[in-house]
Amino acid sequence: MKNVIISDSTLRDGSHAISHKLTKEHITAYAKAADAAGIPIVEVGHGNGLGASSLQVGLSLLDDRTMLETARKNLTKSKLGIHVIPGFATIKKDLTMAFELGVDVVRLACHCTEADITERHISFARERGKEVFGVLMMSHMAPKEVLLDEALKMQSYGAEGLIIMDSAGAYLPGDVQSRITHLVSHLNIPVGFHAHNNLGMSIANSVAAVEAGAQIIDASAKGFGAGAGNAQLEVLVAVFEKMGYKTNIDLYKALDAADIVEKEIMDAAPSIKSVSIVSGLAGVFSAFAKHVAIAAKEYNVDPRDIFFELGKRKVVAGQEDIIVEVALALSDKKKRGQHG
Amino acid sequence: MVSKLIDLVKADCEEALASSVSQLEKLKNQKIFITGGTGFVGTWLAEITAFLNDRYHFNTSLLLLSRNIDAYREKAPHLAARKDMELIPMDVRNIVEIPSDVTYIIHAAATPDNRQHVSDPLGVMATITKGTSVLLDSSVKLPGLKKILNISSGQIYGKQGQGSEAIKETFMGAIDCNTITSVYPEAKRYAEALCCAYWSLYKVPAVIARPFAFIGPYQFLDKPWAINNFIRDALNNNTIRIIGNGLPMRSYMYPSDMAFWLLRLLAEGNPGTAYNVGSPEGISLKDLAEKIKQFVGAKSKIDIKNMNEDRSRIIPDVTLCRESLGLTVKVGIDKTLQRSILWFQETGHTR
Repeated sequence: MKNVIISDSTLRDGSHAISHKLTKEHITAYAKAADAAGIPIVEVGHGNGLGASSLQVGLSLLDDRTMLETARKNLTKSKLGIHVIPGFATIKKDLTMAFELGVDVVRLACHCTEADITERHISFARERGKEVFGVLMMSHMAPKEVLLDEALKMQSYGAEGLIIMDSAGAYLPGDVQSRITHLVSHLNIPVGFHAHNNLGMSIANSVAAVEAGAQIIDASAKGFGAGAGNAQLEVLVAVFEKMGYKTNIDLYKALDAADIVEKEIMDAAPSIKSVSIVSGLAGVFSAFAKHVAIAAKEYNVDPRDIFFELGKRKVVAGQEDIIVEVALALSDKKKRGQHG
Repeated sequence: MVSKLIDLVKADCEEALASSVSQLEKLKNQKIFITGGTGFVGTWLAEITAFLNDRYHFNTSLLLLSRNIDAYREKAPHLAARKDMELIPMDVRNIVEIPSDVTYIIHAAATPDNRQHVSDPLGVMATITKGTSVLLDSSVKLPGLKKILNISSGQIYGKQGQGSEAIKETFMGAIDCNTITSVYPEAKRYAEALCCAYWSLYKVPAVIARPFAFIGPYQFLDKPWAINNFIRDALNNNTIRIIGNGLPMRSYMYPSDMAFWLLRLLAEGNPGTAYNVGSPEGISLKDLAEKIKQFVGAKSKIDIKNMNEDRSRIIPDVTLCRESLGLTVKVGIDKTLQRSILWFQETGHTR
């Protein structure tokens, strides 16, 4: 029976869904439940990762230290993971602090064509004995050959696993199968996949990834994540079990953990809203949804038009300021259309 | 550098040279120009030459070319201050003229750090290709040149098959040149071909050394290689992680053996010939991790993740060196590991 490692992004990607307002009580309750369920890795933090709390991408209710300390206290078997984007997270200020607090797994992420920026962070984390995965975000924006080239860089820097993220929820199973197969056949390290559900494909895409050889799958309880949410963790546990893959997760306890998320943490269950479908089709980062909604309202334009325009401009995470620029341009065009 | 560490290195040199000094007779009273003179290989060549001069009155002088001599003065002040060693601050790519009294050259400029290979592929390739080219051009003009030793790499053999035999110099390795990780081995292959061309055209007496893996003093543990990670994690009582099944076989040579082998190749190697330099004593990654844990006395857990079925073997066949030049390994794997661990502990380089 083959093993699949499930990396739980509930307390990190889910943070996007509640505008980074995780409380100590949320973290305590879910971390305890995830630990009891035997979930291998539990990621915790601001949606954009360590050091990301800012006006640009959203202020976090709790600081990183409080979130990590709280999680650490409640994780005895599960490893504590962090999402790290160089630029947001610095080595001296953020990584050092996170390591002092007992983080086990570092998921070093960058836009899918910028692996060069991860070298120092990966090296530092490996030198401190941490388990390090390289993460290529917005991976639908690059062909499989480019993804492999970037992945080889991360492998050379010392990454012990390589995860591609479908940050926009843009993939169909065939896209995932093609990319994962290519990476698995050329890398010496295990490959992983992180789904978003914009087109309703998160479970199907995660299954396609595992069938193509992926050994690490990201998932969130109840699908709690940015935009239309992630692959639903408890569903994946059940599906993988049925397929004959071993996750070492107790299904009943995973279901209990999911109930906690539904009752105590999330405002509303993730659903595939019309803007989610549009952002998936446009290939735009799922976590833009809230920013787009605000801009659309403020400038009285259709949020779906904003998404398609952002897709044309190939914007990536961290370029949230362009949302307003696009909304303004669309508003201007609309006005000129009315008067012209 | 504390005298205890210098004494350790001297003892290593003494052991490497014991009963073998006469094999380096040709290097007496010679001037050797070394590119990459202050790197790991260059520093060991300087250590063993210093020992030859101090103990055996070889009167061999070294010109050590380096991009960063200040760092060298800090790393090895006892070598930097010696009268038989001259430091030349220069990038190998900028060589125009080599002093006319140079009689031997060792070309060791290039970094084996695979992080740099992918982050600065053009710089890495230029150092190897252009560096070798300008060095060979300059060497043609030397009136008394007796030998050039080009330090290539065991990586030129490419990816090894599962469970393949020890690698002979005649092995026709295959490298997919269209991938970023091939930048270093492909450049090294080109440099070997350049040496061959200069030997064919101008009879430049170029000998090729293909080094494999080494561990010991003057290395750092930051590079993401299995043995470095194992030692570093053991020294910090962290979990030693093996992604695969622990069955891949590797071998590691102690640097005093490496330095002696390289000088022997410089003195007696046949121009136009390539020689493997490394230990033929294979060890599985699982056994390596266990030995390191034992020698450190670490509480580390060894976590074999079994996430791949790799059974590759990267071990050199050194029959050519042994039979034609009488070279043997004097420091076995246990001593290699014990001395390396002691070095990292004493220097405080535990990360």
